[in-house]
Amino acid sequence: MSASLSLDALTKVFDDASRPAVDAVSFSVAPGECLAILGPSGSGKSTVLRSIAGLDVPSAGRILVDGADVAGLAPERRGMAMVFQRPLLFPHLSVLDNVAFAATVAGQPKREARADATQFLELVQLAGFGPRPVTALSGGQEQRVALARALAARPRVLLLDEPFSALDPELRSDMHELLAAIRAQVAPTVVMVTHDRDEAAIVADRVALLKGGRLLQHDTVERLYTRPVSLDVARLMGGRIEVPGTVRDGIHVSAIGEVPAADGETWAEGAGVLVVRHEAIQVVAARASAPEGFVAVDVVVAERTPRGPRAELALAVTDQAADAPAGSVDSPRLTAEVPASRPLAIGERATALIPRSACTVVAG
Amino acid sequence: MLPMPGPGAVARARPRASRDRWWGLAAVAPALLIAGLVVVGGIGMSVAQSVGLVPLVGEAAFTLDAYLANGDELLTGLGLSLAIATASTVLSCVIGLTAAIIITQGRSTGRLVAALSALTIPVPHLVGAASVGLLIADSGLIPRVLGIAPTAWPDLVGGPWWVAVVLEYTWKESAFVALVVAGVLATRVARYDETAALLGASRARRLWHVVIPLAKPAVIVSAVIIFVYTLGSYEVAWLLGRPYPEPLPVLAFRLFNSITLTSRPEAAAVAVVTTLVSLIAVAIGMALLRRTPLWK
Amino acid sequence: MAMMIPYGQRITPDTRETRSRGLMRPRPLGRVVRVVLASLLALWFALPLVPLLVWSVANRWSFPAVLPTEWGLDGLMTALEQGAAPAFGRSIVLALAVAAIATPLGALAARALTLGRVPAPRLVSGILLAPLALPAFVAVMGLTIVLLRARVPAALAVLLLLVAAALPYTVYTMRVAYAAHDLAFEEEARTLGASRWHVLWRVHLPLVAPGLARAAFLAFLVGWSDYVVTVLVGGGTLVTLPLLVGSYAAGVGNDAIVAVLSLSAIIPPLLLLLALGRFGRRYPAARFAGPTPSRSPKGSP
Repeated sequence: MSASLSLDALTKVFDDASRPAVDAVSFSVAPGECLAILGPSGSGKSTVLRSIAGLDVPSAGRILVDGADVAGLAPERRGMAMVFQRPLLFPHLSVLDNVAFAATVAGQPKREARADATQFLELVQLAGFGPRPVTALSGGQEQRVALARALAARPRVLLLDEPFSALDPELRSDMHELLAAIRAQVAPTVVMVTHDRDEAAIVADRVALLKGGRLLQHDTVERLYTRPVSLDVARLMGGRIEVPGTVRDGIHVSAIGEVPAADGETWAEGAGVLVVRHEAIQVVAARASAPEGFVAVDVVVAERTPRGPRAELALAVTDQAADAPAGSVDSPRLTAEVPASRPLAIGERATALIPRSACTVVAG
Repeated sequence: MLPMPGPGAVARARPRASRDRWWGLAAVAPALLIAGLVVVGGIGMSVAQSVGLVPLVGEAAFTLDAYLANGDELLTGLGLSLAIATASTVLSCVIGLTAAIIITQGRSTGRLVAALSALTIPVPHLVGAASVGLLIADSGLIPRVLGIAPTAWPDLVGGPWWVAVVLEYTWKESAFVALVVAGVLATRVARYDETAALLGASRARRLWHVVIPLAKPAVIVSAVIIFVYTLGSYEVAWLLGRPYPEPLPVLAFRLFNSITLTSRPEAAAVAVVTTLVSLIAVAIGMALLRRTPLWK
Repeated sequence: MAMMIPYGQRITPDTRETRSRGLMRPRPLGRVVRVVLASLLALWFALPLVPLLVWSVANRWSFPAVLPTEWGLDGLMTALEQGAAPAFGRSIVLALAVAAIATPLGALAARALTLGRVPAPRLVSGILLAPLALPAFVAVMGLTIVLLRARVPAALAVLLLLVAAALPYTVYTMRVAYAAHDLAFEEEARTLGASRWHVLWRVHLPLVAPGLARAAFLAFLVGWSDYVVTVLVGGGTLVTLPLLVGSYAAGVGNDAIVAVLSLSAIIPPLLLLLALGRFGRRYPAARFAGPTPSRSPKGSP
């Protein structure tokens, strides 16, 4: 059965390092859940994965699988299986025998091991590839075999270390579909390391965001985008809009005006930065009034950058009272995306509509 | 490199390609000429001499006399050489593979073994033979340390079982195997070992299912090289062996340096037999290598 | 899809380690086995060199004594009187000559083969490696008569045969080096405005230098260690160090001289090997460069 996994203040300091590579990281993963560990290079995400696998020995903290501490357990006894960025198929074994490896080393008769492996090859849509040498596979096929090999070990937790990042985009999305299909069929507990937030969003139920060895936020994908807990999280998730201001009585006051917290949200009083996803912002005709639940901001198009079918606009907020010149240095900027066909040219006035439900305030 | 070059590209590419070809030929030519001359010339002239086509004096005439003249010695020598080469090869591979596995495990033990095995690489075989003699002859270091009288000490040097000869070959060549195999394992084994461990393979299983199969091609290649070398090597058997029976190279040497006119073709006949055995050993090695899945 | 895989029944029973914590840690046992094996191997590799070291400083070492009965440098003196120094010099010159010829020839051939610019590449590499499969004495016995009739000087004939014997090593070593060598570095240098000559000296040779050093070392060893070719072709006119070792080792009562000569035959290649070890470490990046960007702690043990 798929197991639950929890990390309790996992810390790893490498011998010659001044600061920990992983610093008191705690999170838990429910059985059958897929967690993505997301973070930039050097954030310690691979170290977390290798510690879970038992390949790195943590300096402190506990790793619990189904509530039992796995410290001191050799990697081969942990019931994990890992797929690395490189497929690492054993070159001396055929495709089928690679998939049958776990069963073979567990002492199963070869025939049974192979019959079992055949099912997993079918699962990764490579039925009939069994007798081939591993050198005869393409990159995508190799990674499928590596996945089948890991699944055939019946891991209590399946670990994926950037398994698809060496593949080209099309293959990668195929692999994402395959992973979804596998999760639907056999529901393994999955922990996947990635540096690609789109991948994390597609594949994972929840995301643990790491930076500099610290866990910044552990949450659903949706909340990570819309309710970041800090400016760091908002930036790492690709947030573009930061409006400094002050919260007073649950209302954020700044250059763009007053933004009341959405129902059910409470914002800390005092200085705070309002963040909102640029995807949520609508651009309408100038001096339009705000519909229910929106905040209207008068803006001037300051920059326009083509992004294929869409265009990205930098919108300078105009102070209605002073009617400051467009693009003034002090005025905060908003970012929005519009279809490329919208004829919003630089210098044109417009109104930006910000949905209140998409706003959140974090510490500066 | 372009998948579909236009017509212009082909026209421009052609002189370039042929120039590359010429450059390639010119680059391999000197090495190829020297190796070819020595190998083809050496074997060819040995065969020609052994069948009487290149006599030192007199008329050239085809004859197989040289092969028959020392028939018995040739057969005993062949058997002896095969036995020495086989024993040395098997022992070297077993010891060398063990050393390679210890080396790849790293840590201080691995580094110590690596350093000491590397130490024996630059020792010439002749020097190795001299040192083995000083170590295990009846007045050698070991009987001295163990306090065994020369009469009670077995005839390891110059004895009936050619122990000293096999030991010397095994000493030098096990270091060779260790170095070659450790080199191959070092580059690939670490990550595969991790992968195998995560798939539930214990240490012993990893050794059996991953490390040894990965080392196999390198072991086969080293085994062939060692077998051919020990089969055709003269100085160790000459120094540490007994006067009779003689392994093939020693027999060939004696005949070659003998003053009788017929002895040169006879030495050449021994050389041809040795070459044949070597080539068979290489062929068997290649066949084994082709059967390993790692061979591309 | 209705396929049912009995998921979750792990083939390796996981209960083992909780039941028997002793069995769970095979490490102490593994360490004992490893240390014992490593010690035996260390002894195996080092022991044969011990009597050489002791004998080289023994004037007299009568039988039952475990240590020399009289220490001294008589062996060294006798060896020098018997022409060890010029023999040493001849060996050095011969080995250097073999390395100087076989290394560039091997490198050229290896590069052409790696670039795929050689017709019938399998045949060509086969011939280049063939000297490994041919006992040296066969080549010598076959060719002596030809070289003699062509009036090739003995020293030159020895050199030719030893170069052929060294070529398999240099070709192989350089093929490995060129296989790991990324031509893109050279192309990059060309686009940066370097001439062919510059590319060769500033990019190509520095990048394959560790390979060249290894190849040259192996070729040096071939020339340095040879006994058979020198004795058969030279016919005693070219006295190198191994010949001296051979003639003394074949006699009786020369143990101290043999030990001194043997040690002097080990030291130069050993020094080269040590130098090679240091040199090889100078270019770690070239050997381990890969497509993945380095992530700081990943490779740490």
